[in-house]
Amino acid sequence: MSWISRIWAFRHRDQLASEIDEELQYHLSRMEELKAREGMPREDARMAARRHFGNATLLKETIREIDVFTFCETVARDIRFAARMLAKHAGFTAMAVLALAVGIGVNTAVFTAYKAVLLQPLDGKNPGQLVNVFRTTSEDRYQQTFSYPDYEAYRDQNHVFSGVIATTGNEVALTGVESFVGSESSLGGGAAGAFGFRFPTVLHGGAEFVMAIIVSENYFQVLGTNAIRGRVFLPQDAHDLDAYPAVMISENYWQRRFHGDASILGRTVKLNGAAFTIIGITPHDFMGTNINVPEFWIPMRLRPLISGGAGTLHDRENNCCALFARLAPGISLPEAQAEMSLLADHLRTLHAPHSEGRKPLTISITPGSHLRPVNLSHDPGVVFAIFLIMGAVGLVLLIACANVASLQLARSAARQREMGVRLSLGASRLRIVRQLLTESALLGLLAGAVSMLMTWWTLRLLMVQIAASLPLEWGSLAVHVEPDLHVFAYVFGISLLAGILFGLAPALESSRPNLSSALKEEGGRFGLPLGNARLRDLMVGTQVAACLFLIIGASLLIRGSMRSLTVSPGYETKRVVGLDLNFPAGFGYTHAKTLAEARQFRDRIQSLPGVTSVAIGRPPNGGGLRTAAVGLNGSKPSTDKTARTLYYNYVTPGYLETLGIPLVLGRGFAADGSAAEATAILSESAAEELWPGKDPIGRTVVLDGTNQFHQRAELFPKGLSYQVIAVAGNTRASVPGGDDSRKVYLPLRADHLDEYPLLVRAEGDPKQLINALSKQVQQVDANVVVYCETLEDLLTSTPTFVVSRLAAIFASIIGGLGLVLACVGIYGTVSYAVVRRTREVGIRMALGASKGDVLRLVLRESSGPVGVGLVVGILAAVAAGRVLRALLFGMSPLDPVSFAGVGALFLLIAMLAAYLPARRATHVDPMVALRYE
Amino acid sequence: MGKGKSDILQGTLALLVLKTLQQGPMHGWGITLRIHEISNEVLRVEEGSLYPALHRMEQDGWIAAEWGVSENNRRARYYRLTPAGRKQLAKEEANWHRLTHAVGLVLSVAGNQS
Repeated sequence: MSWISRIWAFRHRDQLASEIDEELQYHLSRMEELKAREGMPREDARMAARRHFGNATLLKETIREIDVFTFCETVARDIRFAARMLAKHAGFTAMAVLALAVGIGVNTAVFTAYKAVLLQPLDGKNPGQLVNVFRTTSEDRYQQTFSYPDYEAYRDQNHVFSGVIATTGNEVALTGVESFVGSESSLGGGAAGAFGFRFPTVLHGGAEFVMAIIVSENYFQVLGTNAIRGRVFLPQDAHDLDAYPAVMISENYWQRRFHGDASILGRTVKLNGAAFTIIGITPHDFMGTNINVPEFWIPMRLRPLISGGAGTLHDRENNCCALFARLAPGISLPEAQAEMSLLADHLRTLHAPHSEGRKPLTISITPGSHLRPVNLSHDPGVVFAIFLIMGAVGLVLLIACANVASLQLARSAARQREMGVRLSLGASRLRIVRQLLTESALLGLLAGAVSMLMTWWTLRLLMVQIAASLPLEWGSLAVHVEPDLHVFAYVFGISLLAGILFGLAPALESSRPNLSSALKEEGGRFGLPLGNARLRDLMVGTQVAACLFLIIGASLLIRGSMRSLTVSPGYETKRVVGLDLNFPAGFGYTHAKTLAEARQFRDRIQSLPGVTSVAIGRPPNGGGLRTAAVGLNGSKPSTDKTARTLYYNYVTPGYLETLGIPLVLGRGFAADGSAAEATAILSESAAEELWPGKDPIGRTVVLDGTNQFHQRAELFPKGLSYQVIAVAGNTRASVPGGDDSRKVYLPLRADHLDEYPLLVRAEGDPKQLINALSKQVQQVDANVVVYCETLEDLLTSTPTFVVSRLAAIFASIIGGLGLVLACVGIYGTVSYAVVRRTREVGIRMALGASKGDVLRLVLRESSGPVGVGLVVGILAAVAAGRVLRALLFGMSPLDPVSFAGVGALFLLIAMLAAYLPARRATHVDPMVALRYE
Repeated sequence: MGKGKSDILQGTLALLVLKTLQQGPMHGWGITLRIHEISNEVLRVEEGSLYPALHRMEQDGWIAAEWGVSENNRRARYYRLTPAGRKQLAKEEANWHRLTHAVGLVLSVAGNQS
């Protein structure tokens, strides 16, 4: 309370002066009144009162000083004193600052990354005015896209925005430029490669895929961004664009692909086969409304050139574009939302009856963001990941704080005497606590400053690494990790918090008034005061538990993700290459042509030396999972969401042999392709699911994929009945939860061969084949783009692998930091305890204790809290293991290597950290120890 | 100061002020007046020590001040006891009683012996 009033007083010095004046004036006048009432003449009364009052100015000064300066002075004194104490114990200070800096650093890093990725404003002038525009349907579902005719209506009829823009992204094939040196070597590598992620090799003839963003012509005008060379699109360009198709290139791609060639403006490139002239270059790292930097920007009017018929801008039911807008001055979000919702209600009536767009909807306007905030808060995966990350970095900060607190406690035992003297000289407990907290806060702030430098340096390094290791087609990652006010405020906040967190317990502990014993220092000589020792044990235990928890988690995840690569997935991964054919739109491909080319590829590759067999079908762990509802005994499957489902995969007859999936029962599809269409092969777990314990051969199953996810033109079972002719071995599941090993293989019709990947089995190392494959591709069709990957590499892109590997990397880094911190903490506390007990040790040794006895004594006492911490940590890790089960690939969450191994290793390290200082105690000379102090 | 009037013993000023304020909020003038009257005009509080003491006690959080209107309709600064001040008062009162009791003991024993 009082310091608030003092700050107030300091800031309102003039007002304060007049108030003091008024207060005293009042007193004076009352005294004068009194004297006048006692019969003194008025004038005399005034004089008498003044005389009596003495030097009023001096009094006023005195009062003012009391009000204003006491606080500032004591604070300054506290800080000066704290700084002196910290400087005096430089070793302790350095250790504490480092430990805290690590704890604060990981938090800052996560916050900076979070901010850079999620909270980054849209790229444009005055980003505060920019907003995202969504639709919300009655079922409370967010829709991000609008049709182009609707966009035009919103753009032209609203009064709340100074501009509305529409964008949509497309991967397009770039041709018509000289071939790119080195582009055929595998993409990626660097940091991501080192962590075990693989990216596909791209085999191209003359085409390469690039990321193009299609934007309304007013895009750059509304964002307020100019070209660094050439010019941007303008709304009035629309008609000229028909005659002279134009495109803009990003500075990043211009530098990377064309090495900053100045003659790029005016050059013609072919995107999806259509010719475009480059008219401008966008600024370095300019992302606009995207999450990364695209290669090209294409005007919306030219979308049909890129996307063919699907790119029409006249279809009101074709939701193509995400909308962003700039608020007109003085308009609030709710106002904009209200008007846009009115417009939406009107537009709804223009949609076809029974269409999606006809349903009632409202418009949501949210502050501008690259990511859809909607998805984030609704996606349980994201929520879980954020929870995990925040939990882990929070734990590290906790370890760091506990660490420094235990050091502080140990030290406060040494300062018991100082505190005792100060207390007995009349310092209030509050005063001492304040002094100690000032010291802690100062430590925290120092650590914050150190961590800030560390963090930015590391993050910058990391971002460069990540950006360099991503495939080119993903666009350039431009994440800004520059310091700013928010990050600074965050660091300042958590530094102070950390300072107070670790400072409070020791401060309260050591200021406990226990004057006489402190002065005599009995508590300090034989052992430590009980409460103090307990608190310190608690700190050590906390560190050990939190740290062990992190490390066991990391170990589980690492072993899980390793296991996912080594444990047999149920099929051959090393010798099989998957080839994914992509026929770029806009090159006039017809179904007949792509089908013919797919056959040609297959036949040519089949005849290559070193190729054992070729099949067509989705690889078991290659994404593109499709499910169909199942009906037994000839009955139609139920259409509701609870229907039993199997994962279906259309394959050519050689599929199982090529992948080395064994047949358990029955015979496979006839090799000559004459397989009856209505036959199916089940995986073992599918058979077990449908007919537990019975022979499935000859039974029939009805499959219906109509209500399940699939692409529009794709092949899917439409309620036909299939006869089971064989049962094949299981392949491993690739999604968390693992029910995608329940597979049913269906024969792939000859007229759909072009829609599925080619799987090529090599005699030896398939990597040797890749050059030959590349040649085949160029000979058949230079425009087709083929992604090529061994099935083993493909495993690294299954969701479970990615999640468990990323989590493992993160948990190891965090756990490693925690381990270092915990060791420093244990070492520090045991050292202090030993130093404090020098005299006791001396007496024991004088009485005949051996060095071994002393060592055992010290170790036994420090192993207590470590042991409790171990138990708590292991219990917590058992609970965490259950949560992580889906990521462990069948490994027991009680994996003995992780638990026993890490636990034992940890115990060893902890004991070593205790042993080193404990050994010092045995070198104590009894005579010196007895004379100590 | 004047004859028959005692200067306030060092350290007892706070006790007197707190005790006075226990009866309700009061301004500085009122406090001097009340101490003067209740002590049968024995004790006199000097302005030069009263106001600094009031402000110091305010900073210590024992009393709080606010502007109010006095009985003669003028703006005056009123002080009132805070909970912390109440605790402090109890402590100082107990101290005082112990002290006076002790002094009393010494005086009575010394008297008996003479």
